[in-house]
Amino acid sequence: MASLKRLETEFPILDRDFQSFCALRGIFTDGLHRPWSNGVELMEDAQKNKHVLSTGCEGMDFLLRGGLHKGQVTELAGPSSSGKTQFCLLTASTVAYKHMGGVIYLDTGNSFSAKRIAQFLNQISRPAFDEMQPIVLQKVMNSILCQSVFDIFSMFDVLHCLESKLKSQMCRGDNDEILIIIDSISSLITPILGSSGSQGRALMVSAMSLLKKLAHEYNLAVLVTNHTVGGDGGIPKPALGESWKTLTHVRLLLSRDCGSDTYHVSLLKHPSAASGKAAKFIINN
Amino acid sequence: MSEADVKSWINGDESAKRMLDRVLTSRPSFSLPPPLHRIPLRVANVVEIAGPSPSAKTQILTQTAVSCVLPKVWNGVHYGGLGRPVLYIDLDCRFDVLRLVEMLRHRIVQVNGCSSTAGNEEILKLSMRQFSYIRCYDSFELLATLKTLHHRLQKEKESNGIGGHLLMIDSIGAFHWVDRASTTLPLGGKNRKCLSLQNVLEIVVEDLRKLLLIHPMLVIVTKTAIVGTTGNEVKRNFKRWPSSGTPDTSSELERLQKPYFREYMPSIWQSFVTHRILVQGSDDHLAMPKSQENDLAYVSEWLLPRLNILDKFVVRDAGVFLVS
Repeated sequence: MASLKRLETEFPILDRDFQSFCALRGIFTDGLHRPWSNGVELMEDAQKNKHVLSTGCEGMDFLLRGGLHKGQVTELAGPSSSGKTQFCLLTASTVAYKHMGGVIYLDTGNSFSAKRIAQFLNQISRPAFDEMQPIVLQKVMNSILCQSVFDIFSMFDVLHCLESKLKSQMCRGDNDEILIIIDSISSLITPILGSSGSQGRALMVSAMSLLKKLAHEYNLAVLVTNHTVGGDGGIPKPALGESWKTLTHVRLLLSRDCGSDTYHVSLLKHPSAASGKAAKFIINN
Repeated sequence: MSEADVKSWINGDESAKRMLDRVLTSRPSFSLPPPLHRIPLRVANVVEIAGPSPSAKTQILTQTAVSCVLPKVWNGVHYGGLGRPVLYIDLDCRFDVLRLVEMLRHRIVQVNGCSSTAGNEEILKLSMRQFSYIRCYDSFELLATLKTLHHRLQKEKESNGIGGHLLMIDSIGAFHWVDRASTTLPLGGKNRKCLSLQNVLEIVVEDLRKLLLIHPMLVIVTKTAIVGTTGNEVKRNFKRWPSSGTPDTSSELERLQKPYFREYMPSIWQSFVTHRILVQGSDDHLAMPKSQENDLAYVSEWLLPRLNILDKFVVRDAGVFLVS
C-alpha cells in the first residue's frame, strides 16, 4: 500500500478511510505496472545499456549484426550433433573473457564441459601456442556458473533466484551477469507440451516472458537452443510448434556438413535484419 | 406540446451538410502508410492486423508509429507526418527501439537531404518524445495499464491540449495460453471473478470502449494468426505417386493446401474490432532490379471491410514499401 500513501499527497481524496477500504477488500495497488517510458528514454537506455556481445565466431557475428544483443532472446535451432553445444560453450568463453561478464549456463543434458571451455579460452586469448596463465584462466572460468536443470520447474526456481539476486545487485549498482545460456530449452518444454491442453503452452509462454523480463530489466543477453523436427518436404524446421515462433527475438537454424568442422547457419528471424541470410563458419578442435 | 415545439421537432437540429462538416473536423481521418492506406481510418476505429508469424506485423506498426510522431511542418520543412502522440503497449516484449530510430532517421534524411545533423537530431528527439512505451508481462499488468490510462490521458490533455492519440497494442494474443490455463486459479476472496480468457478480454474491451468514449483514439492491434492447413494428409498421398505430376493434379493440390486462419479470440473481441487486415508472407521472392538480394515479399488483404485487392509490400532498411 506504499504507492497509495505516496499518492495521498497528490490526491487528498485518497485519505486513510480509502486506504483501509482497499486493505479490507484485498485491493492492492503496489507495483502492478511499470511506469510509461518515453521514446527518448528508451533510446538512451538502448544506447547506454543494451550493448552487443560478440559470440567469438565471425560468421555468426556477421549474421547477427554484431553478436548477441543484450535485452534480446536468441534461439539457435539445429538437429542433434549440429554444434549447438559447441557454439554455446564458445559463446560462454568469449563473453567471459572478452566482455568480462558473468555467464549463467543452465545445462539440461549434462553436456557442459569445463575442459572444452579451457580449450576455447586458450584459443581466444593467445592464438599462438603458449597457454594462458593459470591464475587468469581460473578467474575467467569462475565467472561462468553452470547449473544442471532437468525440468522446467527447477528452471523457474533458478530464474526466480537469479531475479532476486539481480534485483539486489541493481540497487547496489554492480551488475555482473551479462549472459544466460539455456542448453537446451526444448528438452525442458517438449515433455510438457501436449497437443491439446493449454498448461504446457502456458508454462512455455510464462518461462519466455520471465526470460525476456530478465533480459530487458537487467540488461542480459539470453541464448537458448532448440532441436528440429521434420517439416514440409523433409526440410528440418525448429521444434516447439507455432506458438513458440513468436516468443524469441532472433531465430537461427544451424546445420553441419557430415563429418566436417564446417557449420552452416541461416537467419530465420531478426527484429532489424532481413531473414534468409546465411553464413558458414568453422569451429576448430 | 405547443405548435413551435412541434415545428422545431420536424425541422430537425442540423442539416446533413452541417453534420458532415462537424464530424469531419472533430474526427479527422488518419492517412497511414501502406498497407493501411486503402481505407480512411478515423479515431475510435479499432484495426486488427492479423497474420502468421513471421509476417512483418511489428514492422508495419513501427512504420505507422514513425509517420505518426513526425510533425507535419517543422522549421519550415514539410515532413508530412501526423504529429500525434503514440502510445505503444508491448505485450510480446519484442519491440526494438533502435529499429524505430533507424526508420525515423531514414525518413528525416529523405526529407532533409544530408544537411545539418544537429537539426536532424533535434527533430528526432522531438518526434521520439511523442512516443510512449510500456511493457506488460502478464494480463494483470495489462489490465492495470488500461485502468490507469484514462488518468494519464486526462493529465496530458490538461497540460498539452493535444488529443487524438494512436494506441498500439502489439500482439493481443500474447497471453492467450496463460489465461486459458489459469481458469481454475482462485483469486482469493469469494467476491472476486476468476481470471479466465473470456473475463480478461471482456474487461479489456470494456476499458477500451470507455477510453474511446472520453479520449477518442485510433486503436491498432496486432494478432498472431494460427495457421492450419487442410491439405496435409492429401499431400502425403500425392507424394506416393510421383508420376502424376500433371498440371491438373498440382493445381488441385494447391487449392486443397490453401491455409486457413483459425480465429481464437472470443466473440466479444471480434465484435469490438471494426477493421481487419490479413498479412502473410508470399511465396515468391521478388527480384528487384536495384537491390542485390531477393527481398522477401508480404501480401496484405483487407478482410473487414472486404476489398478484393491484394497489396504486395517488402520490408527494407528504410521501412515498409508497397511494390504493386
